[in-house]
Amino acid sequence: MRLHFPRLTFFRGLAFRYSLFFLIAILLILFFPLVVGYGSSSALLLINAQNEASILTKKTVAQFENVLQPTELVPQTLVQSMENPNISYAEVLRIARNFILHDTVVFGTCLAFEPYLTGKDNYWYAPYAWEKNGKLNTKILGSAEYDYFKMDWYRLPKLLNKPVWSEPYYDEGGGDTLMCTYSTPIYTKINGKRVFTGVLTMDVSLSAIARIVKGVSIFESGYGILISRKGRIIASPWPLRNNQNIVDLANAGGGKATQSAVCDMMAGKSNFTAMDGLEAKRFPSFLSYAPVKQTGWSFGIIFPEKELYKDMYLFLKVMSWIFGISILILLMTTVFITRRMTRPIVRLVEATRKIGQGDFNAPLPVRKSRDEVAQLTRAFAVMQDELRNYIFHLGETTMAKEKIESELKVAHNIQMGMLPRGFATPENWDLFATLDPAKAVGGDLYDFFYLDADHLCIAIGDVAGKGVPASLFMMVTRTLLRAKAVAGTRINEVIASINHELCQDNPSEMFVTFFAGIVDLKTGEMEFCNAGHNYPYILGTDEKIRQLKVRNGLPLGVFDQSDYSFGRFSFQPGEILVLTTDGITDALNTANDFFGEAKLAASLTLLANKNTKVLTELLIGELKRFSSGAEQADDITILALQYKSAGGESTMTSKKAQLKLLNQVSELDKIALRIEELSEEWNVPVKIAMEINLVLEELFTNVVFYAFEDSEEHVISIEFELIGGHELRIQLEDEGKPFNLLEKQVDDVFNKPLEERKIGGLGIHFVREMMSSVDYRREDEKNIVVLIKNF
Amino acid sequence: MEINEQKTDQCVIIGITGRLDTTNYSMLEKKLMEMIDSNHHRILVECSKMDYISSSGLRILLMGLKKITLMKGKFALCGLQENIHEIFEISGFTSIFEIHPTREDALKVF
Repeated sequence: MRLHFPRLTFFRGLAFRYSLFFLIAILLILFFPLVVGYGSSSALLLINAQNEASILTKKTVAQFENVLQPTELVPQTLVQSMENPNISYAEVLRIARNFILHDTVVFGTCLAFEPYLTGKDNYWYAPYAWEKNGKLNTKILGSAEYDYFKMDWYRLPKLLNKPVWSEPYYDEGGGDTLMCTYSTPIYTKINGKRVFTGVLTMDVSLSAIARIVKGVSIFESGYGILISRKGRIIASPWPLRNNQNIVDLANAGGGKATQSAVCDMMAGKSNFTAMDGLEAKRFPSFLSYAPVKQTGWSFGIIFPEKELYKDMYLFLKVMSWIFGISILILLMTTVFITRRMTRPIVRLVEATRKIGQGDFNAPLPVRKSRDEVAQLTRAFAVMQDELRNYIFHLGETTMAKEKIESELKVAHNIQMGMLPRGFATPENWDLFATLDPAKAVGGDLYDFFYLDADHLCIAIGDVAGKGVPASLFMMVTRTLLRAKAVAGTRINEVIASINHELCQDNPSEMFVTFFAGIVDLKTGEMEFCNAGHNYPYILGTDEKIRQLKVRNGLPLGVFDQSDYSFGRFSFQPGEILVLTTDGITDALNTANDFFGEAKLAASLTLLANKNTKVLTELLIGELKRFSSGAEQADDITILALQYKSAGGESTMTSKKAQLKLLNQVSELDKIALRIEELSEEWNVPVKIAMEINLVLEELFTNVVFYAFEDSEEHVISIEFELIGGHELRIQLEDEGKPFNLLEKQVDDVFNKPLEERKIGGLGIHFVREMMSSVDYRREDEKNIVVLIKNF
Repeated sequence: MEINEQKTDQCVIIGITGRLDTTNYSMLEKKLMEMIDSNHHRILVECSKMDYISSSGLRILLMGLKKITLMKGKFALCGLQENIHEIFEISGFTSIFEIHPTREDALKVF
């Protein structure tokens, strides 16, 4: 299995994420005071700026007044003095001219009189004096071309009866300076009557005013602007703009705030307001304005908003830089630290990947500290070490196991090789054997071999246990059989001898159930010895099946006894002897049911008249179907031997005898007598005769006592038949009610203490134990019991 | 079948000669009951001359053994012929009966 770790990228890493969260937290913490600080300090700045601008405005306006005050005061004083007719205008002229010579702002003065006031010829009389380069020049104004009576500077004071400041204008005659004229009406008492006699003017240069305006500076580019009553720009930092009308500028592109501010300015109000600015390129600005009372002008100071906040912005900018750099340093530091901390983890991941790929020597990061990562690394190192050891041992174990398995396979081959195959079956006989081991090596065996031309030895055995020990024991048994079974020996002697050898040195207390027989191939007679093995089956040509129920001793290896007996069996033509091991009856299916004796018998019944190979294979097939995938728990061994025909003339002799009895207990004596006669006549051993007598007595008394419900006489017949020399077949017939002794349950009479022993039930037990086979059928309203006794 | 009895200091010896089967087992039953009723609770059955025994015979011997055991007496067999011994084995009786090879062996322990 390959472990898959997604590659660690920087952005998915712990270091980055940890740093990111950390920084976001710090940013949030710092951002709040920054925003609050920005808000409050900008408000504070605005208040300060408003104060500063207002003060500057008022100060400048006061400067204007200082400049203009003498200009107003001197003509007013002169005009008042002229109310007195005693004061000559020449005197006034002299004072006025003297004034302009000394005043920096006023550079011209004119005394204009009403028509004919100064002489009959003088319709116009207006002596004008102006200062140029420190010298006084004079000239008399008034002509048809220059009719001053129609001019504003003369007309308006006369009409309004008060001094008037003219709108600024450019002097046409004098220098290119912007100027303004202050005209004061002259009243004189003529004949006690106050009469308007003329106008005294003062030409005021506005360059001084302009200088003041230009001198106004606030913040970086803040400037002053002076406008006339009608909105004309008297002074501003931009000469081009002078003489333009501020209303036009405001309307040209200013917002409502600008327009209303301009209106308020012209209305003589004072205020501090935000607006768009008056420049060609507009940007948010502030305007502070106040009126110049004497002249009706208005002075304003304009400065851009950004300059108000410039310092703050600069401060913020610097702060942001510091902030940014700090955060960058912090980020680098946290990333550095967290990477340092997580580097061992990354290396661990790398090492894990390598271990996953099978490299158990992948180096682990060395950590000297005692933090969690170091603990993890140490735990990991221990795990790696144990894993390495485990894999190493696993490898060793697997190798050892594979070695054993291959050796087991060899052992299996040797074992299987020992079993005879490819057998030249004798004429008239058919033999087939198979062994299907449960594990690689098993404890079952079969064997067959010729002792001489006429004698065949067959054997089957089952060692208790499985695996190598069982197979070794099986091989020893088989080798001993081959060594001991020689022509002319009795099979029971062979068995006893094998048993003796096996008992000599048997530390593992192993034993083998064994059945061996020596078959006379000519006569069909078999002498056999059953050492604790399953009873063999005999399949007749009539599909009848029976068992050779003979035991001749204990299994081999249990107890060193010499008295193994032997049995005899005569093959009838067509009969098949089937030897099996308990691997068949004990085979389990997935539902944990045994195959069992009954199923085996039933299967075999259906297989009569087949040849031995087919029979064996069909039986194995039946077994596999039954198990249906359940694991085979034990070896399965079958040996089948069929006597096909007697080969020409039958050597088999058959003798018969019959006995008819009434249903009375006293008839038992007849049975005993007849058996005694027959055993002498047929050469039946006394012990066998006694067993037959005992069994027949049980069966007969059963019939007498239980078969008939009436009290009439009934005939019970017994037929005896001796087949060959060593098989007795006895058939018992009665007309009583049906009774199948095979179905009767027999208590296990063995191994029970005296108190639990029942007096009855022994009879059936005797019948089953003592006879080689017992068969029952109901035919023509008769109970027919067939007993076979091999001896 | 013939039954004879011989009383000694130690016990009563009942000898059986011939066949003990369904036709005559009641004779032995009668004899055994007689012995038990007359307070003879130590009985040895001598079988050396008995050449046949059926299950009915075995039943009587088992009955005798059970009754005597209840009375805390002693019931034993001796001198069984080989074939007879085999029948005892098949029936499992060898494990519950006290069986001695000869009469002399039996009397040693009575």
